[in-house]
Amino acid sequence: MPGIWDKIATIDRRWIYFLMALSILFPTIFVFKFPVEITVEARQLYDAIDALPDSSIIMLTFDYYPSARAETEPMSKAALRHMFSKDMQIVTLSNIPLGGPTMAENTTREIAMEFNKVYGVDYVNLGYKANYVAVMQGMASSIESIFPTDWTGTPLSELPLMLKVKNYRDISFIYVVADNATVDYWISIVNAQYGIPVGAGVTAVSAPKMYAFVESGQMTGLLGGMKGAAEYERLINHEDMAMRGMDAQSMAHFTIIFLVIIGNIGMFVMSAPKSRIGTKRD
Amino acid sequence: MTFWEHFQIWLRAYLILSLFSFMYRDNKFYKFSEHVFAGLSAGYYAGLIWHTVIIQQLIDPMFVDGKWYLVFPGILGILMFARLSRNYTWVSRVSLAFVMGSTAGIYLISNLHGLVLKQSAATMISFADRGGFAATVLQVLVVVGVITTLVYFYFSKEHKGFLGGTARVGIWFIMIAFGAHFGYTVMGRISLLIGRIQFLVFDWWGGSIRSLF
Repeated sequence: MPGIWDKIATIDRRWIYFLMALSILFPTIFVFKFPVEITVEARQLYDAIDALPDSSIIMLTFDYYPSARAETEPMSKAALRHMFSKDMQIVTLSNIPLGGPTMAENTTREIAMEFNKVYGVDYVNLGYKANYVAVMQGMASSIESIFPTDWTGTPLSELPLMLKVKNYRDISFIYVVADNATVDYWISIVNAQYGIPVGAGVTAVSAPKMYAFVESGQMTGLLGGMKGAAEYERLINHEDMAMRGMDAQSMAHFTIIFLVIIGNIGMFVMSAPKSRIGTKRD
Repeated sequence: MTFWEHFQIWLRAYLILSLFSFMYRDNKFYKFSEHVFAGLSAGYYAGLIWHTVIIQQLIDPMFVDGKWYLVFPGILGILMFARLSRNYTWVSRVSLAFVMGSTAGIYLISNLHGLVLKQSAATMISFADRGGFAATVLQVLVVVGVITTLVYFYFSKEHKGFLGGTARVGIWFIMIAFGAHFGYTVMGRISLLIGRIQFLVFDWWGGSIRSLF
């Protein structure tokens, strides 16, 4: 008759999926409010934007696919709230073809309405252009040469904000929200060659690599994954979906740690010489 | 909530649940959603490139603004379609050579100037005045980590003796980096699931279903 560890070792993986789903569903419905500490990198990003003079012009890039929205959209929304609250003017664009420009449009318009901001005067969505390296290089000399019109097809010459923004020299800060390698090029091309300060909010998967850029001073602040988004929401005192998601995040991590511990105990017990299965594992 | 908003929410919920159903077992709902996603992505991408690149940056500038010199990149682009012909595939190499040459030039400068030199310089700063003892210890760790990891990737001499010991320290740093990456990756993947469950709970159940029933 199989023991408890044998049963655990052969458990149907779908029970683990079910446990994970429960561990996320439960805190999504019932709020626990686990604490979220502010990291140095998130504070650095917040301070850099906060220190800019009111009415500064910021470039905000939506370099992420819809699949990464859960992590990245709260970062974009929090940044937009912070910038609009300081009456900053925002130029958005996307280097991601699938959904990027549409998310830039919808997200910016939603937050702009909260602050009664006017399209064309307070913010502009340039949309998408293929080949992001060429786009980043080209905007250094002329944004209009790369984006002759905005996302809706209006010529840039008809948008009051774009009359003030010709190239990177007119931009005070570039805030990149990304789920891919475009951040590397915003740093290695735009920051390194043109000296524009770059801050970023990235998905958790790409966050570890970005810490090197913060340490070297090439990046001014960093938000890593949903945790980073939650930190920024706390910094602007507007707790939203990322803060709500952190309860589920913490609970899911507890579940994974529990499963890892159980799995390792099981492995040691079963690989003992008197194991019922008797298979020595490497 | 309008009919159109209800429809959008229900369609999204259907697609999410169909794709999640694969976790139980492969099925027709999953396959349908997967094919819809692949087809939609390809169609959307083709339309977007046609509008934002071919029309806005080639056709309009040539015929409206009179920039006829753009005919040359246009021809290079058309040559790429020679790959569809078995006999004339070689023609596309002209365009590819242009792309590879210009890309190599741009990347070489940006990577050397923006990444290699800057990151190397970041390991060569003074240990003093870096924010106290703890910061100095961390800076020493960075320097030791960079050197030992580079030694691990030095394969021109057998990893024995002092070289081998240094390389083993490098492996420790690499393993810790992998651990950090894996931890962040788990967090990222869980976040994606949280996003979908938040949609199902707040928008589908809490929004659409409750307003309908």
